[in-house]
Amino acid sequence: MNSRNNGAQEQDFLLAVALNAMIPLANERTLQAAYYILRGRKANQTLQDVHLYSLYPYYRLFPQLSKENWDKIVSNLLQRKLIVEIEGAGGGRKPTFAVTATGLHFAREQFGMYQMHLWLAPFNQSSLTYNTELFWQRLHLLVQTISQMAAASMNFIPVVSDRRIQQWVKMQVGDSRVRSGWKNHLADELYALWAPFPAQVQRLMVAQLSGAAQTGKTLGQLAMQQGESKFYLHVLFRFGLVSSIQRLHQEKEQFPYLHALVQIHDPENGDPRLSESASRTYALIKRGYQKDKIAKLRGIKVSTVEDHLVEMALRCREWDCSDYLHANQAAEIVSASEKLGTSRLRMIKDHLGKDVSYLQIRLALAQRQGESAP
Amino acid sequence: MKEGLEEQLHKHFGYPSFRPGQLEVIQYVMRGESVLGMLATGGGKSITYQLPAMLLPGITVVISPLISLMMDQVQQLRAIRRIPATYLNSTLDQRDAREILREIERGTYKLLYISPEKLQQPYIQTVLRRVGVALIAVDEAHCISQWGHDFRTDYLRLPEVIEKLGKPPVLAVTATATSAVQKEICELLGIKPEHIVQQPLNRDNIAIERIAVPGESERRLQVLQLMDRLTGPGIVYCSTRQAVDVLVASYQLEGKRSVHGYHGGMNSMERMMIQAQFLAGELEIIVATNAFGMGIDKSDIRFVIHYQMPASLEAYAQEIGRVGRDGKPGYAALFYVWDDVQIHQHMMEREYPNRQQLQQFTELLLKGEPFTTEMLASIDMTQDMAELLLFYAERVGIPSRSEAVASMEPDALRDCGDAIMRELEVRKRLKQQKLAEMLDYVQEREVCLRKRINHYFGDSAAGFTLQCCSSCGLNRRVYEAEEVAWTKESQEKNWDLLQALSVLLPK
Repeated sequence: MNSRNNGAQEQDFLLAVALNAMIPLANERTLQAAYYILRGRKANQTLQDVHLYSLYPYYRLFPQLSKENWDKIVSNLLQRKLIVEIEGAGGGRKPTFAVTATGLHFAREQFGMYQMHLWLAPFNQSSLTYNTELFWQRLHLLVQTISQMAAASMNFIPVVSDRRIQQWVKMQVGDSRVRSGWKNHLADELYALWAPFPAQVQRLMVAQLSGAAQTGKTLGQLAMQQGESKFYLHVLFRFGLVSSIQRLHQEKEQFPYLHALVQIHDPENGDPRLSESASRTYALIKRGYQKDKIAKLRGIKVSTVEDHLVEMALRCREWDCSDYLHANQAAEIVSASEKLGTSRLRMIKDHLGKDVSYLQIRLALAQRQGESAP
Repeated sequence: MKEGLEEQLHKHFGYPSFRPGQLEVIQYVMRGESVLGMLATGGGKSITYQLPAMLLPGITVVISPLISLMMDQVQQLRAIRRIPATYLNSTLDQRDAREILREIERGTYKLLYISPEKLQQPYIQTVLRRVGVALIAVDEAHCISQWGHDFRTDYLRLPEVIEKLGKPPVLAVTATATSAVQKEICELLGIKPEHIVQQPLNRDNIAIERIAVPGESERRLQVLQLMDRLTGPGIVYCSTRQAVDVLVASYQLEGKRSVHGYHGGMNSMERMMIQAQFLAGELEIIVATNAFGMGIDKSDIRFVIHYQMPASLEAYAQEIGRVGRDGKPGYAALFYVWDDVQIHQHMMEREYPNRQQLQQFTELLLKGEPFTTEMLASIDMTQDMAELLLFYAERVGIPSRSEAVASMEPDALRDCGDAIMRELEVRKRLKQQKLAEMLDYVQEREVCLRKRINHYFGDSAAGFTLQCCSSCGLNRRVYEAEEVAWTKESQEKNWDLLQALSVLLPK
């Protein structure tokens, strides 16, 4: 067992992941930008960066990564001269960083060693919307339940304590026809789903599950057992989750039972395109509430709700904002902006007069930006 | 009555007979009298209200401070005992809570576990009154005492609630309460002082050792060695999450046994798996913060090591009480370094707000805005801290409605601020005192540790089965295993998905 050098190995792996996330951000963003992406912060700026620099595999890659840990990574990167700091120039420019030639080499070499191109391949704009947590919890509890049923011992403590997940599983096994369907097909469909995956990933998925004949292992335990870095296994696990969900979406017909795992009818699970608070506002908008009422209901300022509306105009193209902005107004604002050659609200407002509000200008500009985004 | 009850015990729970103290407590309850049961951890506290719940008409309400414990118990009752139980707490959303209340009205449940703050809601009280409450069981009853080590403000409102529910009999249970705390529980919950059932506190099968070490590295070395040598299974308690992580990581470098950490920073699924592995005997040692142990039903735990000094003798007694519930010999070791006390001082500082935070808090109160998580974060305050402050604010006369606060004179409000600060100082001093008592315990020389602990809880017993304590002379080898097998797993060679799935999901 090579657990003795796990520490150094693990640190190198983390450095390489951080560095690869940072390469596109060099000279443009601060040293913290990649941290927010890895943590999966739901702020506008972070989500924008993910889209702008196509950093989809890195978003929420390590939601548990602590600030201390990150600081350690950054100081390591600096110390080993893999990156260098660039001070903020005059004119209020923020400090940023550059990746050195050694850094580029290190990043490439490590990624090659760990076959990262393979593990990060399934991530794209649509994988960003997957609820991997929900998928895994449903699967976990479902497997445990079916396994206990097969062993005819229903006296077990569920691994998942979330009531919503429990109810979902209960619903699945409540009807006797569906139940016997699960009993007969769960193992087969899981086999069909996972058979094309690399053996290491298969093993990772199965070993974490619990049933009548086995208690699930944690990722940490599996890392110890295999003498691998926990972070590396986490990357493999995410590959397994996202690839599973992807296949269940794309090959519905092949998985008549398992497909239910990725069906989400729950509007309360936030919209991944939006910040958490904005997605709550969006849910209320969909129920027909106006912005002043929403502010009151949620106990937040009207101006905050307006920020959310702008966020929605930017990200959610399906949102019909005609309650706040007429199509002809939008066209007027956009053409004013183009004519003046500026996006500055004040100048547009001065040009158009008091018939348009700041909110309308922001909505129109956000909408335009949203349309031109990839 | 005894035979009848024993029969019922067997029928519903499968136990052949009562453990010490249980029958006496249940007899009080069945006669409709309020009672305080002082039963050791793992001594089967929960049976004392679960059995009457099955026998009495109406619903039994169990008040419990720990949400996770509540959920575990309900889970176990439903799955293993097939007893109709449910819970109401802050983890449920409104829709679920309403559904459960409807079921309660229909008489679906015999047992309702509820958090104290939920029980304050008038609507819930109305429903319960309509159904008829047979018994109110107050778990961890020491939480009601301001002198207790784990005072919770929402417990203090319980007497009012009991009144509103039509004054059903009350069963208060706790494992650790000094006589002052017992007295306060009885007064507040209307229990006659002669209705205290006290199970002997002394655990004669546990040998107690106290080990002073000069510094951190020496301590780690010794603990790591013990973890390899002692007969398992066992628990190692640390004061902080970080200490847990560090100890586990260093054990895993050299250690032979299967060990895992457990603390509140891990996600709930991981915690469930670790717990399940420990119960199933797949894990030999758990390294944990005090988040681990409550409600864990494992009778063959052979040792508990305290990596650092705990915050109070109450906590200490409770934690070593998990050893050897099967009656076979067990061992408890407490390591301490002179500056362990600093950790607790530090944690205490963070637990209570400072003047500036209090100021910011009253300003928020004045503005009348709701306390959202973000808002509390902006003044660097935890939810617990805010609740504590709200409670004291109400006690010193700041009205809970914001319009009324806004109309208060600034002077009056400042006076209230001072009063809150004084209340907090009292709490802090109490905790300091508990800590000082713990410090005495680790530093006192040549005093029998068993007698010392028992005496603290007002018990003079001193008997033991195998060995007493390190002051009286103790040979630790007795608790070491003959030969420790390598239980740390390594990976099996051949992987076959089909085969692995057939183990998990046999056809």
